[in-house]
Amino acid sequence: MPLTRRRLLGGGTALTGAAVLSACSGFTGRDSGSDEGSANGGGGELTFTTWGTDAELAGFRSAIERFEQSSGATVNLNAVPYEQMFTNIDAQIQAGNPPDVFRVPYYTFGSYAGAGQLLDLSGHLPADAQDRFTPQAWAAVLNGGKPYGVPHHTDTSAIFYNVQMLQDAGITDVPTTLADAWTWDELSAVAATLRSSMPDDRYPFAYNWQGNGVTRWLSWLFQADGRFLTEDLFGPAIDSEAGRAAVDFTRSFFEQRWVPSNNSVKSTTYAADTWYGQTAAMVWSGAFNIPDADASLDFEWGATFAPTDVRGGGDFGGNALVATKDADPELAAAFLDSLTGADSMREFCQGASLLPTRADLVDGGIEFTVRPELTPVFLGQASQVAAQDSAQVASPDMSRIITVLKDQLEQAFVGGQNTEDTIAGITAGIADAVAAS
Amino acid sequence: MTVTTRSPTSRPAVNRPRRVRDDVAGWSFVTPSVALLGLFVLVPLVWALVISFQRTDGFGSGSWAGLQNYARLVGDRQFWRAALNTVLFTGIVTPLALALGLGAAVLLNSVLPARGVFRSVLILPMAISGVATALMGVLVFDENTGILNRMLRSTGLPEAAWQSGSVPAFASVVLVTLWWRVGFCMLIYLSGLQGISPTLYEQARLDGAGAWQRFRHVTVPLVGPTTFFLVVMNVIYSFQVFDVVFVMTGGGPRDATSVLVTYAYETGFVTRDQGYAAAVGIVLLLIMLTFTAVQWRTSRTRDLVE
Repeated sequence: MPLTRRRLLGGGTALTGAAVLSACSGFTGRDSGSDEGSANGGGGELTFTTWGTDAELAGFRSAIERFEQSSGATVNLNAVPYEQMFTNIDAQIQAGNPPDVFRVPYYTFGSYAGAGQLLDLSGHLPADAQDRFTPQAWAAVLNGGKPYGVPHHTDTSAIFYNVQMLQDAGITDVPTTLADAWTWDELSAVAATLRSSMPDDRYPFAYNWQGNGVTRWLSWLFQADGRFLTEDLFGPAIDSEAGRAAVDFTRSFFEQRWVPSNNSVKSTTYAADTWYGQTAAMVWSGAFNIPDADASLDFEWGATFAPTDVRGGGDFGGNALVATKDADPELAAAFLDSLTGADSMREFCQGASLLPTRADLVDGGIEFTVRPELTPVFLGQASQVAAQDSAQVASPDMSRIITVLKDQLEQAFVGGQNTEDTIAGITAGIADAVAAS
Repeated sequence: MTVTTRSPTSRPAVNRPRRVRDDVAGWSFVTPSVALLGLFVLVPLVWALVISFQRTDGFGSGSWAGLQNYARLVGDRQFWRAALNTVLFTGIVTPLALALGLGAAVLLNSVLPARGVFRSVLILPMAISGVATALMGVLVFDENTGILNRMLRSTGLPEAAWQSGSVPAFASVVLVTLWWRVGFCMLIYLSGLQGISPTLYEQARLDGAGAWQRFRHVTVPLVGPTTFFLVVMNVIYSFQVFDVVFVMTGGGPRDATSVLVTYAYETGFVTRDQGYAAAVGIVLLLIMLTFTAVQWRTSRTRDLVE
């Protein structure tokens, strides 16, 4: 067949149209390998979008297989890089075609629940669902008193330390039980000892509050027995003695050169990298870093509990699993119920070095695959998180509050802003954030 | 003698089908580009303009806010800081990239040994994505473990606070951007230089012009259209800078490297104030359109040919 200009133009137009259509289909969020007509095993079909490390994805795949076998349903797993996760989810929600189920950090959960994008699971989860989880985990998935997700796992920061660097400074007595955890004063003494024995380009510790990890600064506030939101979550509550103590103490890290100057909240260098490079002797980090540290570090290291002040406290890290509002309620709830079953959660947490949210697994129910002897440290640390703390982080206004914390703490840590101005700035910022919703 | 003439009315009758065919062919060529441009540029642009008049977190339809988002910009310290940084970044990077690019192009257009290798080395950064470039920048400029501070330390020179100092952080972003962009400028200038006839240089040499005079009075004016193109492109690229800043400094320390696009991103996707972020984007568009229009009207060498 001769190729005439008309045929060429016609073909070109058809190809352009096909390209445009295929580009549009890229926003659907459906697994490209799925076939809606044939993949339905008779028990329904769900799409599940998540990011994850290899160990986490292995845990999810195993749990999905378990659910598919028991229910006859099909789950299309869509694993995406974390960096693209929420721009994708937001675009899919805006396009009216979100996944049925997705994974979300507790500090982001409130943004979706508060905007009415998630499925209210009341009446769809088993009646005893609340009792299955620890109170702090359950509080983190509530919005207006109703569950809009299930707490899949948690993680909280403890202190990783370089044994040799501590020994070189004469520090050999590191807490081994929760009751012996350093107080703020004891931590200060340890930091001062390290500072005086280290060269200028080495530091006592680094803190993991970079990026959205700024919520980990709240651990200091909680340890001082403070709050950043009122009990109804509708107003700022940081203007308190506890608030001032937390700002004062954390500002002193920079003034005393206990942390490197690029350890501030807006830095692009993560605290763990500073510790990996042996620039710092200690670092606050979640258990999720254990496999990586075990595989890549050639120095001896251990982990101990985060310090305490008025009380113990820590960040309620980790992620919830949520269903979007147009998902099949019964099927989505059954899937979430299955993923938080004892076997699935144990396998996931052990493999990925994360902490369970089920009350029956918290008390010695799991053991990390890598460095199992560190499991009690992180389980013990997680027990320090109070339900009143995790409930605040699940506020629907948290995304705006995170921006306020970042701006104000950056000014306090490396901009020379004093404690009073910082407290006033955070208070005003939170008030604006809450009023804007 | 018989004169045969065509009736005036017969001409259109004879050519009309051909003209129609030509019109159809022309539109067929143009339509895919116009359709793609409309779908992927104009529609999002108009959409962003509409969103900029709304108060929305991106979910649902949002509420009409009129000019409130634009009024907020006037009193927003962080917006003005980002705008100032963007202008400063553009003002530093554009002339430096052009000057270094032209210098490299002149050098590599001459009889230089292994110039093919040098050209490839300079062009190579263009093949690397902005994010990868910025990640390499982090390896170089990390103030604790970066290559540069280690070198300074080993030679006994004072280290620079590339991440915690405002001026060094800004300088690090400029240097990494230049590394990426000089190759592009060099490549475009090289094509411009190869369009200049060698006889002009010969004539200038016969008239007694030295190397600098030949460069100043022959090369520079005759690469005027290339310079015009590169100025416009560099200004647009500089106003749109995002990946290098986002990865290397995140806009810090203390907003010292925050630029309009990183500020719009933070506002739109972290704070989820998407109406306000769209307003920042529209202001950025207006600034770039204004600059391009002014440059278009005032450039005397944009159409200069040999």
